[in-house]
Amino acid sequence: MQSDGSETLSPTTQRLQSFSAADTRGKHRIHAELKRLEQETRFLEEELEQLEKMENASSACKEILKGAETKPDPLLPITHGPLNPFWDRWFEGPQDSKGCRCWIL
Amino acid sequence: MSVAELKERHVAASDTVNSLRERLKQKRASLLDTDVAGYARSQGKTPVTFGPTDLVCCRTLQGHTGKVYSLDWTSEKNRIVSASQDGRLIVWNALTSQKTHAIKLPCAWVMTCAFSPTGQSVACGGLDSVCSIFNLNSLCDKDGNLPVSRTLSGHKGYVSSCQYVPDEDTHLISGSGDQTCVLWDITTGLRTSVFGGEFQSGHTADVVSVSINQSNSRLFVSGSCDTTARLWDTRVASRAVRTFHGHEGDVNVVKFFPDGNRFGTGSDDGTCRLFDIRTGHQLQVYHQPHGDNDIPPVKTIAFSISGRLLFAGYTNGDCYVWDTLLAKVVLNLGSLQNSHEAQISCLGLSADGSALCTGSWDTNLKIWAFGGHRKII
Repeated sequence: MQSDGSETLSPTTQRLQSFSAADTRGKHRIHAELKRLEQETRFLEEELEQLEKMENASSACKEILKGAETKPDPLLPITHGPLNPFWDRWFEGPQDSKGCRCWIL
Repeated sequence: MSVAELKERHVAASDTVNSLRERLKQKRASLLDTDVAGYARSQGKTPVTFGPTDLVCCRTLQGHTGKVYSLDWTSEKNRIVSASQDGRLIVWNALTSQKTHAIKLPCAWVMTCAFSPTGQSVACGGLDSVCSIFNLNSLCDKDGNLPVSRTLSGHKGYVSSCQYVPDEDTHLISGSGDQTCVLWDITTGLRTSVFGGEFQSGHTADVVSVSINQSNSRLFVSGSCDTTARLWDTRVASRAVRTFHGHEGDVNVVKFFPDGNRFGTGSDDGTCRLFDIRTGHQLQVYHQPHGDNDIPPVKTIAFSISGRLLFAGYTNGDCYVWDTLLAKVVLNLGSLQNSHEAQISCLGLSADGSALCTGSWDTNLKIWAFGGHRKII
């Protein structure tokens, strides 16, 4: 599948530059591109409308803080309980940290 | 309509799209009254502090003979599947370090692997453009190899990432260099839905990462070389629910935040970001120079089970542990004793959040856990 767009030019600009004035074979391609742009326009207009009623970022930040501070987390030095003894299973029993060293050849 | 007229309309439509994008960008900026760190500081929060022996490497899983590219834990406690440049998947019991399976792949160029929810199957994908499914309970063939139980064909480019849909072994989502994501029915081997691609709006460059929402498995995010992340609803393949702009380079990795309403990203631009799926807001940028103005790309991320910690692997061998709330680096696993000797390419948390597994180009996997004194509040 052709990869559109470079890092520096927008996909639409690149495509436009590749059309020559007498390139009637590209007519269907341009038409398809145009349809895609018109669809994109509708999506963007919808999004703008949604943003008019959108909450500020601080509401989401509040939720994140609440969640991250209340859920028990075995990797934190200070955390909410309950403590689960299985969290420490990595330090129990035979501690052969190299373990099985067979090489798969 | 003539070609010339069509081209004129095309230029006008391009201008409209660009101007709408600019207006959207400005409107979004006006809604960003704070970021997570600003809000957390205003609430008097202080960063997590680790003692020197708190997070330790407690296992080194040796066996691959090439770079490790991908890993995935089971949803029960202790098993991991890893994929390597050596053309093999290995299934490990991370607690005992034993290998339970070593699967020689039909195509050695593997890029991604995943464990099924029941732990009975594994999936992988790579440069062969297919996803291969292996049933771990199958009998090996006469050469001692585990047979492929299903091949999922249809992508027109490499398979960069794959993940099983939670709670069932029957569906998988893959991301591909063909710019699409696909939801597969493994039972039939057919594509249930294709997200993006030639006739639908979607990513405009390679998809390199996918992450499924664990609380609402109809939602998943994809990360792409087109610098965006996109949120998809599997019921609506024709367009993304939302496109997230902000990164200035390839988005190499996406991972849902534990609460399911946010997701994190890691990028070639050297930053990680946190986005909100309901509003589309970019809630936080995680950026810190690594010394000498070095800004290495982020290749892999994972959140701890509460979301308080964000682990990020960079191409220079660093593995920063970020305090997600205060946007501060609180530890660098890459500089700890016994750490990897090369870039960490993949990361994952065990299901109960008690261990982090890192996979590296040094061919090893390591398990990290909290070995210090824990204070319960």
